[in-house]
Amino acid sequence: MELSVNHLLGIKYITEADIQLIFETADHFKEVINRPIKKVPSLRDITIANLFFENSTRTKLSFELAEKRLSADVINFASSSSSVTKGETLIDTVNNILSMKVDMVVMRHPNPGAGVFLSKHVNASIINAGDGAHEHPTQALLDSYSIREKLGDVAGKKVVIVGDILHSRVALSNIFALQKLGATVKVCGPKTLIPKYMEKLDVGVETNLRNALEWCDVANMLRVQNERMDISYFPTTREYTQQFGLNKQLLDSLNKEIVVMHPGPINRGVEITSDVADSKQSIILEQVQNGVAIRMAVIYLLASKIKHHED
Amino acid sequence: MKILLKSATIVDASSKHHLKKRDVLIENSKISKIAATIPSSEKVKEISLKNLHISQGWFDSSVSFGEPGFEERETIENGLKTAAYSGFTSVAVNANSFPITDSKGHIKFLKSKAEGNAVSLYPIGALTVGSKGTDLAELYDMRNEGAVSFYDYKNPIANANLLKIALQYTQNFDGLVQSFPFEKSVARNGMVNEEVNSTRLGLKGIPALSEELQIIRDLYILEYTGGKLHIPTISTKKSVELIRDAKKKGLKATCSVAIFNLILTDDVLEEFDTNYKLLPPLRTKEDTKALLKGLKDGTIDGITSDHNPIDVEHKKTEFDHAHFGSIGLEGCFGALNMVLGIEQSVNALTSLKKTFKIPSEKIEEGNRAELTLFNPDETWKFAEKDILSTSKNAALLGSKLKGKPYGIVSNNQLVLNK
Repeated sequence: MELSVNHLLGIKYITEADIQLIFETADHFKEVINRPIKKVPSLRDITIANLFFENSTRTKLSFELAEKRLSADVINFASSSSSVTKGETLIDTVNNILSMKVDMVVMRHPNPGAGVFLSKHVNASIINAGDGAHEHPTQALLDSYSIREKLGDVAGKKVVIVGDILHSRVALSNIFALQKLGATVKVCGPKTLIPKYMEKLDVGVETNLRNALEWCDVANMLRVQNERMDISYFPTTREYTQQFGLNKQLLDSLNKEIVVMHPGPINRGVEITSDVADSKQSIILEQVQNGVAIRMAVIYLLASKIKHHED
Repeated sequence: MKILLKSATIVDASSKHHLKKRDVLIENSKISKIAATIPSSEKVKEISLKNLHISQGWFDSSVSFGEPGFEERETIENGLKTAAYSGFTSVAVNANSFPITDSKGHIKFLKSKAEGNAVSLYPIGALTVGSKGTDLAELYDMRNEGAVSFYDYKNPIANANLLKIALQYTQNFDGLVQSFPFEKSVARNGMVNEEVNSTRLGLKGIPALSEELQIIRDLYILEYTGGKLHIPTISTKKSVELIRDAKKKGLKATCSVAIFNLILTDDVLEEFDTNYKLLPPLRTKEDTKALLKGLKDGTIDGITSDHNPIDVEHKKTEFDHAHFGSIGLEGCFGALNMVLGIEQSVNALTSLKKTFKIPSEKIEEGNRAELTLFNPDETWKFAEKDILSTSKNAALLGSKLKGKPYGIVSNNQLVLNK
């Protein structure tokens, strides 16, 4: 079994079978990282460049750890300012790094489609670690994987994604992944932060958090991305929290026990209160752990395609 | 110069020879004879081309040639050559050069650059100084030097009072003001049409609302001021309806549509190809249908190629960083003919002459010979080798087209695309 693609640019571009293969591979790696010796020698001959053109802590750490646990050689490049403002084009930057014999690129970039663009112009396997408001495929994979782990399956589940959908690559990738796996998805948030044509993606739109929570099996609470907002989409954070913040009282008042997720980093007290984040219904830390296993699986499966190609 | 066009089908609804196959003799820029057969003589250059059709010369109301300032994108010389090979005998050149065409001297420069060329170049002057949208440029002075219209290329007139004043001021010399339909506070830093595709791709959307809002405002101002307003390159269904209603009311409003918005939809954006990054953005199937209908019923006055060469450095980049625009002269007729057919295509390519007061004469004996030569039936796929422009940013690349221009007879010259 191998992936149908040579890059992971988005969930949009992969099949359900690809996702299942990644999950099965991740099952194996999850077992590995819980062993006393957490490392496998699988990718000793592979060099991976982590190119982060936008700030990231957890995704970068998670990728780096996944790469190191697979015994790949790793180099890191971080630049918070876009390459364009410095005068060098993205293609040039990446080709410079590739000329040092790099096999795979993990890239985070502020512009949607940057990964797709790069994959057409450079000779390396690309993993999209977030491109603007487009996709963040490994996050969506680890989210679905965590749902599968907690509830046994993703198919047939009802998932609501709450918060800033407009600026969120996590929301979009999650929608594609959950739908491919047979779940039903709704989004919930202020109308100003939900794309006008969301429903055309077969995604329900709900503006009342209680209604959304009563409907769902899983609530994925997104962070309010103030840094992406160039204008004000709601008057104050306080007012946002009043309408879309998840607190213990609301959680306990529901007639069933839902699963609470958050892709991090959490703004405690804004989209989710501390007692909810730390409650037994929350699987936030499991998500983080699964992130490493999922990224190991993705890197491993894409690397094996490079090797195949060279044979 | 004496030219004899053999067995040419004349496409000119205003001529008594309309849709008839004729030999046409041209002597010293005049059509001297039209007859079923005209015998050739020694001093006559005989042109015999497969399935030759001729029409009045085509006019493009919005082309950009880079020069001065952006010669790496295109020069006036090569731009005019591209126009001639693409069947255009006259082009209105946008003010988006550097420096901006906002004074008599700049108009003079453009005119002098095109002197002696087969294609007639008609400069468009900027409406405001530096196209900054604050103070009116010397419109009357530019008009006297040959400016055919006033337009801050793709810069919307944000200040409503400025448009009011421009429409009032230009009336005593019958000037044509253009206002780009784009309400910036709504469009913001949008990249593509706001719809399901922008949602799927995470690209910032430009709502149809931003165009329609500006059109409503502009028409309202026009109703107050009188005068003539041209709304270049509309792209939405509702825009067509708004202009249809305005025309019914008797307002002197005209508009155009860019060839891309007639042919392509935002479905092509899937691969983030920056050649499809256009302003106005490519919209939906529903919009292209409405635009086509508007063109057929005369609501839309004509089409433009909205030819805008952009160098590779500003196109081969991340989608957000790429410039808006595509070259359009090449392939314009072939694309139009696919959806409109010969007669209506020719009409759409010549009708804006009236709006811009470009001289035109019907194809009859004694009249000036300004003709486009074409074969409406040749089917071809637009490939990179068909690009004549210096820049290669063509949204129509890869499109199947029907109909190819042979060239033009204009300004006492024959230019044929070999």
